[in-house]
Amino acid sequence: MMIESMDLIKTALDKRQRALSEYTSKQLLRAYGIPVTQETLVQNFTDAVSAADAIGYPVVLKACSPELMHKTEAACIALGIRDESELREAYQRIVTAIDLDLEGVLVQEMIAGQREVVLGLSRDPQFGPCVMFGLGGIMTEIINDTVFRVAPFDRIEALDMLSELRSSAILDDFRGQAAADSETICTALMALGQIGLDHGAVAEIDINPMIIDPAGRVVAVDALVVLGGEQNGQ
Amino acid sequence: MVNNIKESPLYRIINPRSIAFFGASNRFSSMGTNQLNSLKSLGFEGSIYPIHPREKKVLDLVAYQRVQDLPEIPDLAVMVLPTEVVPQVMEECGQKGIRHAIVVSGGFKEVGGSGAELEKRLLAVADRYGIRFLGPNCLGVANPHHKFNMTFLPFEGQAGFIGLASQSGSLITQMFGYLRRFGLGFSAGISVGNEARVDIVECMQYLAACPHTRVIGLYVETIRRGRAFIETARAIVPHKPVVAFYAGGSEAGKRAGFSHTGALAGPDALYDGVFRQSGVIRANSITELFDFCWALGACPRPGGKRIIVQTHSGGPGAAAADACSRSGLELPSILVPTRQQLAPLVPHTGSVSNPVDLTFAKNPLDYFAAIPDILLGAENADGLLIYFLAPSQSIRRTMQDMGVSDDQIPQLTEKLFTDQSRALTDLIEKHQKPLIGFTFQEYNDLFVRTLLEHGIVVLPAPQRAARAMAALVRYQQLSEKIHSKQ
Repeated sequence: MMIESMDLIKTALDKRQRALSEYTSKQLLRAYGIPVTQETLVQNFTDAVSAADAIGYPVVLKACSPELMHKTEAACIALGIRDESELREAYQRIVTAIDLDLEGVLVQEMIAGQREVVLGLSRDPQFGPCVMFGLGGIMTEIINDTVFRVAPFDRIEALDMLSELRSSAILDDFRGQAAADSETICTALMALGQIGLDHGAVAEIDINPMIIDPAGRVVAVDALVVLGGEQNGQ
Repeated sequence: MVNNIKESPLYRIINPRSIAFFGASNRFSSMGTNQLNSLKSLGFEGSIYPIHPREKKVLDLVAYQRVQDLPEIPDLAVMVLPTEVVPQVMEECGQKGIRHAIVVSGGFKEVGGSGAELEKRLLAVADRYGIRFLGPNCLGVANPHHKFNMTFLPFEGQAGFIGLASQSGSLITQMFGYLRRFGLGFSAGISVGNEARVDIVECMQYLAACPHTRVIGLYVETIRRGRAFIETARAIVPHKPVVAFYAGGSEAGKRAGFSHTGALAGPDALYDGVFRQSGVIRANSITELFDFCWALGACPRPGGKRIIVQTHSGGPGAAAADACSRSGLELPSILVPTRQQLAPLVPHTGSVSNPVDLTFAKNPLDYFAAIPDILLGAENADGLLIYFLAPSQSIRRTMQDMGVSDDQIPQLTEKLFTDQSRALTDLIEKHQKPLIGFTFQEYNDLFVRTLLEHGIVVLPAPQRAARAMAALVRYQQLSEKIHSKQ
């Protein structure tokens, strides 16, 4: 896990990247046991079709580049693609609209779920790597419900983060949807702290959102690893 | 961790047997003179050696021209000197063999520029001689158990059980009178200043090992050694509660930015997490810091969060109940066996729900003995909040009406209050559950004073009593969380 993740980060640093692409960010997270969307990075439409067939429709298409830190522009992303013809249209739109060197186009499973949380890592000059957990979704910034812990911390502390959230009820049974897989959220929170401890070059991580699906399964749908922490690492 | 208090670098700084004092003169307006005066007025029992270039005597103490001239090596040097001379004086102290100091002087790192340079020089000198020092830019130490107070305000009140480490010196010196009002006091108060060589983490370790300290209070503006703070606090908390008031404004906090989830993260939320992870109870104000310290230092630990409110006045009782729910406490209903026990004691106007509102008790003494005995004994009660109203004036009038002669009234009143207070302390002892009182009476009222003298916590508002009770519950939860290692 360390070797693999070291390589990911080293390669990016060698290329003077300020961040890892979404695809690489998720590879790093997956290496630490954080569940991420099933996805394939493709270089041409034919491969996109095979990837979508393998994953199963509906899928999501995303432009993938370390330069693309904010995927707010609609041009970078196509959600809920139901079949090959929609895939073709979306693929064309994305590759023509983006004026960047792309790592490729990401074909991603579409996670259905109305409940969203955010997880993050940042560095504080006094406390070192700090892990954040918060309520996600469109109201995130209005509701501003976030809690923090300093890495490393144990599972009990991670569970305590979940219960400290003002809107922690979102993790319980909710309108016919199953309770969120808290164990996995805890694993993810501890893992983020561990990445911060293992890799000084990681300045920040932003998992936004992690979706809780109706069965309670949790998946990191979008992720960004920002580089430029302590360059020498540990 | 420090297991024996004598292992702490702070031990001789807080418990010196002899002191070299720099910066006091016979000029009564100077800060150093005031500090030496404080030291003398509390009756410090060790030797004090003022160092002064010209005076033969300073405040009636024999003064020495140079530290080298002293007849012994003092445990501690206190420096209230112009900034520029401090490194040189530290050098002389080092040569003499002094290994502990308190540097009150300011003008170092906190002012930047040449001050920061001067602090580096001071550190280099101190390190060369292995001198541990508090400060610079601090108000020093008050340890009333050792009759040692070198802060610039004279100590008032009594020695107590609150150990306070503070990044504000005023929170030590200016709280003497505030604490005395409640019959409280410091076990030790430590002003840490710039924390150049002794920081708040080492103060926590000292206070954890200090036998007089039952609860540790912190006034925090920034935590310099983050990880050490968390680990130290987690080691202490299962044995001794720690309460912190965070005043914010830290450099760390200001810089702690989460650029993407960015807008969401505030330094305050980070400190919330740090305290929770550390097992430290966070107070929202200075008032609350001392309220919480009082309750945690004086009360047995509650087994849970189910609280009964006992009152004979509707409004204050309802306010306490309301504050309980807002503070995350539960108000259990009164169980049938408890009702049956209470029935003979409660008048028909009373209400045996929670709050238990007696309106008046059939026998006034029941309010302090039989009734709280039943309520504390209830299996679904983890603690009791109790409203106190017994103005001395009305007791006096009642006694007059009963035909007690005027010269007997003061003595009988005193006895009555003492009996009531003792009854309550006996109940706390018997049930091992917390009881916190609240009142709107003055604190110099004889009744309130008597309760305080008996060690009963009486807060001046229902919501403050409820919050303090919630702090007790919180402490239990936090220490259990830390204890339940995987």
